[in-house]
Amino acid sequence: MHGPVNEVIQFIDLSSYSIIFLFLVGFVGGLVSGFIGSGGAFVLTPAMMSLGVPGTVAVASNMCHKFPKALVGAIKRYKYGQVDIKLGLIMGTFAEIGVQVGVMLQKHILDTWGQAGSNLYVSFIFVLVLVIVGSIVMRDAMTTKKKGGIEVAAPLAKRIQKIELWPMVTFKTANVRISVWFLVPVALATGMLAATIAVGGFIGVPGLMYIIGATSIIASATELVIAFVMGLGGTLIWAYYGMVDIRLVLLILAGSLFGVQLGAIGTTYVKEYMIKYVMGTIMLIVAVSRFFAIPKYLNELQVISLDNGLVGILTQISFAVMCFALLIGATIILVSLFRARSLEKVTA
Amino acid sequence: MAKTYSNISSTNPIGRDGNSGDLRTLPDQKKTPFILVVTRNGHMPEPVMEYALNVADRLKYAILAVHINTLPFFRDGGERSMLFSLALEESSIFFEEKAKARNVRVEHLGETGKVGKVVKRLCYTEKRIEFVIIDQGIRMEEVTSQSPVPVFSVIYTRPETGEMTTNIHYNPMNRGELSMSTTSRKRHVKNCFVFGGLTAAMYATVFTNPEVFMTYLTKGGFYALLPVAVVLAVSYAHGNFTNSFWSALGIEGSKVSAPKQTDIRQDTTPSAGVRKDTRPRAEVRA
Repeated sequence: MHGPVNEVIQFIDLSSYSIIFLFLVGFVGGLVSGFIGSGGAFVLTPAMMSLGVPGTVAVASNMCHKFPKALVGAIKRYKYGQVDIKLGLIMGTFAEIGVQVGVMLQKHILDTWGQAGSNLYVSFIFVLVLVIVGSIVMRDAMTTKKKGGIEVAAPLAKRIQKIELWPMVTFKTANVRISVWFLVPVALATGMLAATIAVGGFIGVPGLMYIIGATSIIASATELVIAFVMGLGGTLIWAYYGMVDIRLVLLILAGSLFGVQLGAIGTTYVKEYMIKYVMGTIMLIVAVSRFFAIPKYLNELQVISLDNGLVGILTQISFAVMCFALLIGATIILVSLFRARSLEKVTA
Repeated sequence: MAKTYSNISSTNPIGRDGNSGDLRTLPDQKKTPFILVVTRNGHMPEPVMEYALNVADRLKYAILAVHINTLPFFRDGGERSMLFSLALEESSIFFEEKAKARNVRVEHLGETGKVGKVVKRLCYTEKRIEFVIIDQGIRMEEVTSQSPVPVFSVIYTRPETGEMTTNIHYNPMNRGELSMSTTSRKRHVKNCFVFGGLTAAMYATVFTNPEVFMTYLTKGGFYALLPVAVVLAVSYAHGNFTNSFWSALGIEGSKVSAPKQTDIRQDTTPSAGVRKDTRPRAEVRA
């Protein structure tokens, strides 16, 4: 039962460098999450590991900081009338099941192909999902921008909503009436992706927009509810095994709650396609980062033979590109927010 | 929520002739139509009084002056509500004197809650109300959406007469906005300090006793609830702190885009699709 606990867990000593680093990463991650609904947490696990935190503790602490952050973000965006709680809770429940399925699948891959095989699978899914979904989101954002920034409902979502398949559910805030049978696959995929790459929102938000038919504002806000449900469930499991380092959680939370509030405020100023634009940009840059990580795992599986120094450099490049993705996203959000704000002041 | 004041209440209104009693229990006054005059201030502005008295005098109507305290739970230890009640009493006496000179009957009410709801309730319970006059600072739409009778607003630009010796020159158009933003900014700064202090105390507790927290919070099993409880408590304090922090800095959600969100949702109405009505129905053939 307490498998991972039996190992001696090394909780790191905190230096002032690591405290400031975690606060800043938390802030930037929170900013992105508050704006696009998720996507701020993927950099935290490797960031913590770069400080010497064991992988499992890093994952557990990341998960534990995610759900209160999502809760605060969801409350803030609910005040702006952007959250469909019912949709979020239903999706969150099924996403939680998706997480368990994803964990089992991961475990099976780990047993069959070992750690390197598992890492390769994660990177492969990362690149595949992020390139495909990221391209769709980016293309849509650019098309919407060309059309003057007016969002139209996705044609696929329109077709799906017309299918009357019991049980049908109505979501008032999202203004959607849809069969549960179409919600479940999106929620399961969100949960499975969350279990694999730690960011379910990269499928959850596009799924809500293009399959279920919510607007990008509603989708990104509702994703915060989904992230809360998934995060709470995940935290209870990790805490059950005693893996949560509360000091790390609180340090990240200190920065991320500042960020998540600002990100949520940002959604009220920018045009809707900006959410898609930021999301697409981050997804595509992160895909590039994972591309740099693949040779390392292929080397471990002895498919290719690389020098250890080169592998180290590639790993560092991968992490740097990931940080770059998050920083680019945060910069776009902040610039758009303050530009729109000053424009509003001038026109007022 | 509406609550009547004990000193000047709907069950004990101050009449022009000094009589007090329930509005519904005065048979001689039952047939007199009323003009409902509404303000959200403790003092009824003089231009509003004058306008209401002129109309009431001409039409031979009575006046029901209502002072609505829209912030009954304002977090200042009840000071605002107390001042509101005092101002209401003072204003009532002043209005009473003016009305006496014009031979108009005036009754006063102190209410709490939303203006629209109070007006609706009064219009339905006091059937004799013919129309409503609202003071500046009350949104016309808020009242018209609830009122079953016509609503008129009084626009005045001249300075109010009163005991104030120092003239404060506000642009009347921006006055409400200015005072409101100053109040809310102060509230955010106060919240910022309160929740900031609470957050700092929580962080200090954890980081000065890391061994204790790490021992219990990593025990696993049913102790799993402890880290969840700790982060929820911290996020409550810290979440409120960060919220007030950005608000105190003046960084708040766009006010312009608020209706935009609703419009967007309304625009998507047809996307949900109209269901085909499959119920059997009779067909008339002539």
